[in-house]
Amino acid sequence: MTHSALPDQVAGDFYTNNFAKNAQEGSLILNLGPQHPSTHGVLRVVVEMDGEYILRAEPVLGYLHRMHEKMAEVKTAAQFIPNMGRVDYGHALGWNWAFVGAVEKLAGIEVPERAEYVRVITCELNRLASHLLWWGAYLLDLGAFTPIMYAFDDREKILDILQAPTGSRLTYSYFRIGGVAKDLNEDCLSRIRAFIPWMRERLPMYKDLVSDNIILRKRIEGIGVIEPEVCRRFGATGPVIRGSGIAYDVRRSDPYSVYPKLDFEIPTSDLMDARGRYDVRIAEFEQSLRIIEQCLDMMPEGDVLVKGAPKPSWKAPKGEAYFAVEGARGKIGVYLVSDGGKNLYRTKLRAPGFCNLSLFAEVSRGTILADAVAILGSLDLIIPEIDR
Amino acid sequence: MDALLKGLPLDYLAACDFQKTGKTWQAILPAASLVRAAERLLAADYFVEDISALDCVEGYVVTYHFAHFHKPGRVALRVIAPHDAPSVPSIAGIFQGAEWHERETRDFHGVVFQGNPNFIPLLIDPDMADCFPLRKDPKSRARMRDILEAGEVVHCGPGFGLMTPDAPAEAQASSQSEAAAGDKATA
Repeated sequence: MTHSALPDQVAGDFYTNNFAKNAQEGSLILNLGPQHPSTHGVLRVVVEMDGEYILRAEPVLGYLHRMHEKMAEVKTAAQFIPNMGRVDYGHALGWNWAFVGAVEKLAGIEVPERAEYVRVITCELNRLASHLLWWGAYLLDLGAFTPIMYAFDDREKILDILQAPTGSRLTYSYFRIGGVAKDLNEDCLSRIRAFIPWMRERLPMYKDLVSDNIILRKRIEGIGVIEPEVCRRFGATGPVIRGSGIAYDVRRSDPYSVYPKLDFEIPTSDLMDARGRYDVRIAEFEQSLRIIEQCLDMMPEGDVLVKGAPKPSWKAPKGEAYFAVEGARGKIGVYLVSDGGKNLYRTKLRAPGFCNLSLFAEVSRGTILADAVAILGSLDLIIPEIDR
Repeated sequence: MDALLKGLPLDYLAACDFQKTGKTWQAILPAASLVRAAERLLAADYFVEDISALDCVEGYVVTYHFAHFHKPGRVALRVIAPHDAPSVPSIAGIFQGAEWHERETRDFHGVVFQGNPNFIPLLIDPDMADCFPLRKDPKSRARMRDILEAGEVVHCGPGFGLMTPDAPAEAQASSQSEAAAGDKATA
């Protein structure tokens, strides 16, 4: 077919051509990415434009696909844990937890109580770091340069805290089947205690400096409205669905670990737009701090790894198990099937960002291109997690 | 769940222990029942968590996990697609989010989802999209009854013996061909 923006002599690739088949006369086909600062990684979106308006959009995935599910077939369960930190570098400990939790469920392994608290504390710290990364990068997308400097200042403190017990700063491989690799020592605990008031003091400043800023409000209010029914049909979870007014959080709906003992709220917003999702994440800062504070007080003494915890050569018993946790981006699920052999028979990873991004085509229709960037950012995408 | 799926032709329905397996119900259905089962789950406010396939001796076991925003638990629907022509109807018309999950399952196992609106490779490069990396070689395939939790059986269709350990060999063969026939009917 002939097309004004896609002349015959320029051959697009498979996805562009496939997308252009249904293009309207006189529209413009534009590729956003795969290398583009606003896509955080290598996400590509093919859009059909009428002037500045988006007629259709289609995300193109796979640029960061590493086939983690195949790697799980050639490694033992314990050897696969380092992969989990690489699925989502933003909230690596959430993925650590989902995987070891599924193996523990499969094998019926009980985790020592102190280890549960250590898991909650480190996982929530990691959630804070992930939300800070989102916050800074999102505002950068929207043209505000300063906030990321503040966000990374705070995030750096969390990385410094987590690097002591985990041994890494980003792609954590800290959880073990039956507990965690290392206890939090007194020095580490006192640094966490000092971090909580520091972070609490920063939040009002962020509200005054950024959240109430008129330029930000004009960029995100009323943009990318997602009805709860659309969320459900696309399987969206996390701040995306809570920003549409549904208080769905795995920590409360399918409680795991010591979360039932902790007092915290599930922030929601009825705005359903990018602002709603922004507000939910901002409110979650305080909730994570509350959780960490309570855990520090309630944490008992004891072991952090169960006696006789699985070694790398350990074989998972026959059977299947599904375990889900609440990650920074939504419901992280790991489905395992074992035939009792050396490696797991099948490992299926459910990435929250995958489902959250799948509704982008629906939400972006009819918006202007600049707003599409604001919508993409409001979904908080980590591409390695989506592509796996 | 048995009330929800009432009147649909089912092969197998069992209640499972959520603490042990992470799901509350599992149902194995003929491919022809899948779309109607998905419609009922949509009407009952469920959402699709994920769709994946499992390569077993009996065929590709396509598993649909559903969860609910206000009720705890998880429901697994399963459809067995035969190895020689794996095909199941798409539910992307009911749950739009299923479109990507189905395309991913095509990439990994080569299962065809009839009626998916944009059935092109999703994660794997289109130039090498027919390698189906998660297919197992026939020797290393396991039987469904050995690796899947049987649960507490509520309903088991006549002649369906794939999940019961002591089923005679001929019963297995007949239910397998039934599953294949169901596929052809929808295709």
